[in-house]
Amino acid sequence: MSVVWRRTIPQLLVAIILVVMTALYFLYIDKTTKATLNYWDGLLINYSIVIAAMAAIVGGVDLARYHVSLIMKREREQIPFSLITIILEVVCVIFAFYALATGVPILTQPQFSWIYLNLQVPTSSAMYSILVFYVASAAYRTFRARNPPALLLLIVGVIVMLGNTSLGFAIWPGFTPLKDWIMTVPNAAGYRPIVIGVGLGTIILGLRLILRKEVTWMGRRD
Amino acid sequence: MNYLPVEQVINPAAGTVSLAILIFLSLSGYYYMKLAEKGRTFPVRKIRAFEAIEEAVARSVEMGRPVHYTIGYGSIRTAHAPQYTAGLGVLTHVARLAGKYGARLIVTHGVPEAIASIDEIVRDGYFSEGRPELYNPVDNARYLTDVQFAYASSAQAVIIRENAGANIVIGPFWAESLILAEAGTMVGAFQIGGTARDVQIPFFVLVCDYAFIGEEIFAAGAMASGDIPTLASIRGQDVGKLLSIILIVLGLILLPLGVKLATYLMW
Repeated sequence: MSVVWRRTIPQLLVAIILVVMTALYFLYIDKTTKATLNYWDGLLINYSIVIAAMAAIVGGVDLARYHVSLIMKREREQIPFSLITIILEVVCVIFAFYALATGVPILTQPQFSWIYLNLQVPTSSAMYSILVFYVASAAYRTFRARNPPALLLLIVGVIVMLGNTSLGFAIWPGFTPLKDWIMTVPNAAGYRPIVIGVGLGTIILGLRLILRKEVTWMGRRD
Repeated sequence: MNYLPVEQVINPAAGTVSLAILIFLSLSGYYYMKLAEKGRTFPVRKIRAFEAIEEAVARSVEMGRPVHYTIGYGSIRTAHAPQYTAGLGVLTHVARLAGKYGARLIVTHGVPEAIASIDEIVRDGYFSEGRPELYNPVDNARYLTDVQFAYASSAQAVIIRENAGANIVIGPFWAESLILAEAGTMVGAFQIGGTARDVQIPFFVLVCDYAFIGEEIFAAGAMASGDIPTLASIRGQDVGKLLSIILIVLGLILLPLGVKLATYLMW
């Protein structure tokens, strides 16, 4: 594939879309032009949805290929997990073909709903709930008062935790207003520079993309 | 010559001041890039997390353990696209280091649109460093899923089962940030994290050995390119920071005088 197809055209497309999107946001546009641009915008979004769907197919093939390779390697501990992954992937593909053949959307098929409600929802909830223990273990390691800044972090952390609970209010009603002050004054003062910095960083990244200087996302160099 | 009134040129909802700031920053970034192209060099502040990447990769090789890298999950069509771009930029650097030191790199992700880019970046890393024999597309670049906790559990499993020596997580992250970082802690991996999502930054700062804070992930992308003019664009970013500091100080001075600067910045 030539350099023009692989690098120049994608870079130009990104640069043009960035300039057009910025102009559309900042400039005043009359209703007729806006309607036309909205049509093109909708068309672009539809294209991107199709591209994402095709990319998801590639992802599915990638996933199956990896798990098949693990089964072929006969890694005993991994085989059950790889088998489950492949079987569920095949089942979902069957549901998709069934939807195509019957016209019943996949999300409304009772069998698919059963799998979704009884497998995906509980497992996702389990993963989310595990987060509580991770927060506790990370907090334990972090809140050890090894030096003055860590001690300050510990004190502030305890005040904010107590200020968020009814127990804290029962111990001392002042915890809640103190927590509110910490969150709205020092905490906001710490967060805002980070948010401003992210905005500035995004602008400069956009500039590099428009000038075709940011090319690392494209992969292979020439 | 008749001029159109401002309200018929600038979208009133967007604001003239924000457009002026955007133009000013873009011009300052462009100016520094042009100066760099002419041979001028600028001191660029060091980012410790970026410098630590080489140590992380080298240490993993010494321990005979793989390097795990992830950019997160989701769709590149959202407002988080710049963070995915930054994550891919740093991956370029990590892949080249993996090629240089002969490390086994495992990239996990849940961004279907980025599959081709990630494959290319990893391949380029090994090939450009003269180690094509280490490149194995099935093993090096693994698409997991774009469902949040399924991705988190899969990435966690990879970190633990593969016994990662280094765990580098850069991109937009949500609740899974701590799951990934804690998985790295469990196996004693050298951890480097970075995100521009403000609510997740504290998790990386607390759990990782080094963390990119906010805009540093975008600067890291420029550093990874190794291109001097691209690197000079960070100067434009710093000019923006200086402007922000001036506006904040000015706002503080004017506030006791009864002038609220923020109101005028909304124009």
